[in-house]
Amino acid sequence: MDSASSSQPEFDYLFKLLLIGDSGVGKSSLLLRFTSDSFEDLSPTIGVDFKVKMVNIGGKKLKLAIWDTAGQERFRTLTSSYYRGAQGIIMVYDVTRRDTFTNLSDVWAKEIDLYSTNQDCIKMLVGNKVDKESERVVTKKEGIDFAREYGCLFLECSAKTRVNVEQCFEELVLKILETPSLLAEGSSGIKKNIFKQKPPEADASTSSCC
Amino acid sequence: MSESSIEPPLRRFSNLRSVRWRVDLGILPCSDSSSIDDLRRAAADSRRRYASLRRRLLIDSHLPADENVSSDLVIDNPLSQNPDSKWGRLFRNAELEKVVDEDLSRLYPEDGSYFQTPACQAMLRRILLLWCIRHPEYGYRQGMHELLAPLVYVLHVDLDHLSRVRKLHEDCFIDVFDGNNSFPDVDLISNYRFQKTNKWDSVPGKGNDSHESTPKTSSIDDLDPETKEIFLLSDPYGAEGELGIILSERFMEHDAYSKFDALMNGANDGVISMAEFFSPALSIGSSSGLPPIIEASSALYHLLSVVDSSLHSHFVELGVEPQYFALRWLRVLFGREFALDDLLLVWDELFASSNHMCIESNTEYSFKLLCSGRGAFIAALAVSMLLHLRSSLLATENATSCLQRLLNFPQNVDMKKLIEKAKALQGLALDVGCSSTSSHFSISKNNLAVRRGYSLPTGSASPKSPNHSLPDSYWEERWRVLHKEEALKKGNKSLGERFNLSRTESDPSPAKNAQTKARAPSATVRRRLFDDSPKDTRKSDADDGRSRCDENPAAPIESVSLSNKADREKQFEEEGSSSGENSSVLSATLSHDESIGNDPENESEKSSVTSNSFIGDNDEESCSQEFIISQAVQEAEAASSSAKAERAGSLLEKSASLKEKKPLSSKLQWLWKFGRASGEANTEKGGAEDSEKQSSVNNGKDSSCCSAPNGTCNSCEATSRRVDVGDTKVMGTLKNLGQSMLENIQ
Repeated sequence: MDSASSSQPEFDYLFKLLLIGDSGVGKSSLLLRFTSDSFEDLSPTIGVDFKVKMVNIGGKKLKLAIWDTAGQERFRTLTSSYYRGAQGIIMVYDVTRRDTFTNLSDVWAKEIDLYSTNQDCIKMLVGNKVDKESERVVTKKEGIDFAREYGCLFLECSAKTRVNVEQCFEELVLKILETPSLLAEGSSGIKKNIFKQKPPEADASTSSCC
Repeated sequence: MSESSIEPPLRRFSNLRSVRWRVDLGILPCSDSSSIDDLRRAAADSRRRYASLRRRLLIDSHLPADENVSSDLVIDNPLSQNPDSKWGRLFRNAELEKVVDEDLSRLYPEDGSYFQTPACQAMLRRILLLWCIRHPEYGYRQGMHELLAPLVYVLHVDLDHLSRVRKLHEDCFIDVFDGNNSFPDVDLISNYRFQKTNKWDSVPGKGNDSHESTPKTSSIDDLDPETKEIFLLSDPYGAEGELGIILSERFMEHDAYSKFDALMNGANDGVISMAEFFSPALSIGSSSGLPPIIEASSALYHLLSVVDSSLHSHFVELGVEPQYFALRWLRVLFGREFALDDLLLVWDELFASSNHMCIESNTEYSFKLLCSGRGAFIAALAVSMLLHLRSSLLATENATSCLQRLLNFPQNVDMKKLIEKAKALQGLALDVGCSSTSSHFSISKNNLAVRRGYSLPTGSASPKSPNHSLPDSYWEERWRVLHKEEALKKGNKSLGERFNLSRTESDPSPAKNAQTKARAPSATVRRRLFDDSPKDTRKSDADDGRSRCDENPAAPIESVSLSNKADREKQFEEEGSSSGENSSVLSATLSHDESIGNDPENESEKSSVTSNSFIGDNDEESCSQEFIISQAVQEAEAASSSAKAERAGSLLEKSASLKEKKPLSSKLQWLWKFGRASGEANTEKGGAEDSEKQSSVNNGKDSSCCSAPNGTCNSCEATSRRVDVGDTKVMGTLKNLGQSMLENIQ
């Protein structure tokens, strides 16, 4: 059944995306909104969870396997394996909590550098909870500056109100589709093991940046 | 659940889960002989400890100024950066509170009724804060609150139960005692309605009017033992007075903390301390040098590899690392995988298992998890969960879909079965743990055999042994499922791939089997089989085979049976391979090392016992298909003839399927059949029909075997035939038949 759905004809590419960021910034909510268009109180993620969504983007049928990590986990040996083979990484912060933003540069960007196995992998910065505009402490400008510095995409969104949620994933995926090396990795109806990395086939010229 | 689970002390409080858990977790004395007063004193002590801790840490730390005036203002001021200053602690605690509150507000929101009540939230919060402040090396980690919640919940449930019992007795005795309720405030046990309480108190006075006397008066004897016990546990005049009331709403928080602390720290030198699963620190004692949670995850895989190597290799193939799903399973002890009520059943068993190190203190071990009954149960349950999903997991083609299933465990599970399976595997887990360096498990000392040998599904695919007792239906189902899936997908490819993953290795062997059939080196094989079975037999002869199966492979068998049907079809296709596997197994058993080539995993993993069982299976299968041929095949296998290509085709397949299904015990039966069949059997190679017949026979035999010895017959039809025969008789006849068969063949 699922196996059937995962077989080749069903999609052109399979991409692994990763959600990271501090605990409580709304990673799981963002994912839930994206995959099932709902919003509810969620228990904190323990370890890792993930969801799969089939999408049509850029004329391609895509299967997205989105890994939702626990923000509190600081367990190197553990977290490092989540990064393996990811074509896209979404860094999430909460625009109403500055520490979640500063931790991006202090913690999360470093983790990516350390563990990401694919140099070309697309990174995206997402400021969540813009529905709480009155409580906002991190400005959009700050987000843009950060994104520019780290060469990643940027969006502000709200899992609660749905604003920009789809766009987050769409932009990220479009960028991946523009990156030949990632495409090669993802074109694996063939590949059974998305964790096993093929040697980068072509060094993609497209580097990710906004 | 609890009934089956347990030792006397547990039964003792069969209706009071919270009391049972406190006993199991080492807070209350466990010996059967301990009196109510002993329990009460222990309870009172634990409460005193908590009260003083709370006073010291929570209350005092919030009043930094007055604790010791001696404090140095340079250090102890609100702007101090020194984390050890009182203010620093205060701030840190404030942070901690924030995190804890955030999680608690989302705790079981759907069951909100209880956990979301302000009183409960406040209690949970205090307990967590206190524990975390007390254990700064761990601090608060997400998931801890979900370990605590059920502990609180059972207290709540028991208090409810208590109040119901009171009410019941109030009703019963209301007439008798009307007017006797002169001590309305006697019962301070809880804040339940005083009237009920009064009635309750008066209950003992039923016979006489001296209700004010402590419940120990002879009148209590009029109550049924259970009620009486509840009464004694709740009697405010018992040992330690009010503080010693075992079930008291007033001390719920204290008791919950004690339980939580015991669970987290592995009270009384327990092996499993949950706190370790939250810590990245390397585990102490074991040789793995890994963080405990990682090590425990690998332990789980290790057990899986023993029980069901094909599933294990499937995971490995897909790159599904155990911690991806086991982290959550272990950290919250399956709390996210089961509904709360189901979870309580799991924890019943979990806590009832001893947490003491069951290996020599100086022995080196690589999996701490597998060194205690409790840890072994954890691993066993996890494996039985995997087995429950076996066929759908095997059908996955990439890590994504595989993990999707693992992280979304179905909610409509038959908990009883799952737990039974886990208990059946528990002993094996311990054995594996004790001999993690050596590849073979001595017969598990535990009661694996005790439980029926459900045909544990584990082995279905795995060449090792798992298939033995699976009922035919299981395989059939599996076949069907697989076929459908395959058809849907690409067809054979996926199937072949899947199977190949686990069984590819064996492919060559089937051919061998067919060819080798003719050979008949089998005599040795047969002998071994026979010999083995008797040796192994701890119980009855027939039982032995089965019991063995049950013990080691058995656990998997059940699950196998569940999914086996589906697999069957696959198996048919795979038969060739499976037969190969079987043969390999056989050969492995015969010459343990030799067979390795075919099933490396199996070989290494298989214990001698398992190998025996496997052999039996193999024999059976081969017998059924080819009667003698099988034996010859075995020999051939041993010989590792090159005739793989020659797969017996459908026959082999059938035989393979049969093999899988049959338990060790079935071997004997098989032999028997062989004897019978031998007459018929000449046709071995004959047609698929023959093979089919045989297979059916075999199946029947298998089932009968299973049923006869263990009473766990999966498929009954064939069973009836042979079941009647005494085990020993069967054995003897089988031997004779087998030998004669072999001779003829040769």
